[in-house]
Amino acid sequence: MPEDQVFAIGKHRAHLPGNLLYAATNHLWAARADGSGIEMAPGVWRFGFTSYAIALMKDVYFLDWSFAPGLNVRHLEEIGHIETSKAESDLYCPATGILLRINETLLEDPSAINTDGYGTGWLYEIDCAEAPNHLIDATAYRKHLEDNWEHTQRVLKGGINSISDEADTQGDDNG
Amino acid sequence: MSGKLTVVISQAQGKHPVKRGLEESLAAALLMEPGIDLSIVPHLVDLQPGHTGRLYLEGVTGDVVVLGWLYPRAAFWLLDRIGVKGQEGTSPMHPKAEDDEDLTEEGKSELAERPPAIGPSGAIPDRVITCLDLRHKDKHEPYVEEIRRILAETRARRQSRQAQQAAGKAPVLMELGLPGNGTNGNGPIKSFSAEELLQAPPGRRWYPVIDYSRCTNCLECLDFCLFGVYGADGDGRITVENQDSCKKGCPACSRVCPHQAIMFPEYKTAAIAGAPVGAIGGLKIDLSKLFGGGVGGGGDAIALAAQERDRELVKDGREAVGLAAGIPKRQTDKAPAARDELDDLVDAIDKLDI
Repeated sequence: MPEDQVFAIGKHRAHLPGNLLYAATNHLWAARADGSGIEMAPGVWRFGFTSYAIALMKDVYFLDWSFAPGLNVRHLEEIGHIETSKAESDLYCPATGILLRINETLLEDPSAINTDGYGTGWLYEIDCAEAPNHLIDATAYRKHLEDNWEHTQRVLKGGINSISDEADTQGDDNG
Repeated sequence: MSGKLTVVISQAQGKHPVKRGLEESLAAALLMEPGIDLSIVPHLVDLQPGHTGRLYLEGVTGDVVVLGWLYPRAAFWLLDRIGVKGQEGTSPMHPKAEDDEDLTEEGKSELAERPPAIGPSGAIPDRVITCLDLRHKDKHEPYVEEIRRILAETRARRQSRQAQQAAGKAPVLMELGLPGNGTNGNGPIKSFSAEELLQAPPGRRWYPVIDYSRCTNCLECLDFCLFGVYGADGDGRITVENQDSCKKGCPACSRVCPHQAIMFPEYKTAAIAGAPVGAIGGLKIDLSKLFGGGVGGGGDAIALAAQERDRELVKDGREAVGLAAGIPKRQTDKAPAARDELDDLVDAIDKLDI
């Protein structure tokens, strides 16, 4: 198992646990085990925001899913929307499969995403139809963040207008 | 004369501390204001039939100010849909966009040829409904100021109407919105407790709202939607008949509408959520491109709408239809031809009302 990694965003330090895998494009962690450490059924993965994603968004105010459990989802398909104190974003699916379960408590009160993002702040579970081979380990994810940091800063500073221009020129980072 | 103004705060969905804070400080300030009946209801979109907040709104007869977390145009037509009708109040807080300002030459000529909008249905009561967007200012004071201005306007209108009536010159139309009993034309028929009004809706709802000041009744939305959301009323006017048949998150029909008359008040794109033409969206940064968005994308509005519709069809276990069903055949570059005999014949057949 790779070691835990840390990525520094200014004063903030994003912790990237070594026991998780990462969907780098979506800044989500992925785990085969549920919150109590018990491995879930074969093919089932639990996903949640990485502390890097949370550092960009700050306090989550509102989370909304356009999919219900039991429905088929495709990798990078738009599946929801989030509003936070600093940002809003569409949310895209990290894997192809069946959406098994969403964390219902977050719909009423999403604060667990901020307080316990790697635990009770998990987002949903997907029964992956195809092995999610695009998931990478903590070391590779940290490197991904480093490689893209300059670009990300430009996007954040440039605000809305520059996003569409610059992000499209960015290479595919599925690893 | 008394002359009261009904003010309704429609809450934000979810637990947004900043939004809740503004709602609370605004409510506290308005409670101290003379001449105002204040009520608080859940988000307008979520008020299902039979909700006490909705029954309350339906019972209010005088001038109303509705403050909510949505564009005033969306709020106004949403209220129209549930039978809360009136003249659309304008506020200096939300100046109307110049309709033609951002249009291309092509757009302007299209506007000139646009068939007339069908307007709201039924009798419109002689009262003013002003909707204010709570996303506009982050302090309650500007809203309180604006409500004072509207209250003064309401009183002035009422005085001039009474003067007219006294002089026996009141046009018949003026009677339409007045309750049988009152002289000041306001006040709810039923009274509900604050708790009843704020009863939590069972869930978030999602459905289109038609702006009849733009809708020309072309029925393209009726053809396009394959989920039975739209229907025609007894007069053949398009209506959002089955709101809850609509597919959450899908704004496809609004992209198909040739007159941008269909709004989804909760949609993230300002133009679809009911922003005036040329309005700038929220101030928050959009991280979608950093979070995995923009990989597919591209294409025109109709293609996007068909994609969105296919996604909902597949979710429902139905076959995707792509562009094969209910897509309007636009001949945008074709000049309108002179009427010919066939047109006359078709019109004559239409008039037969078979």
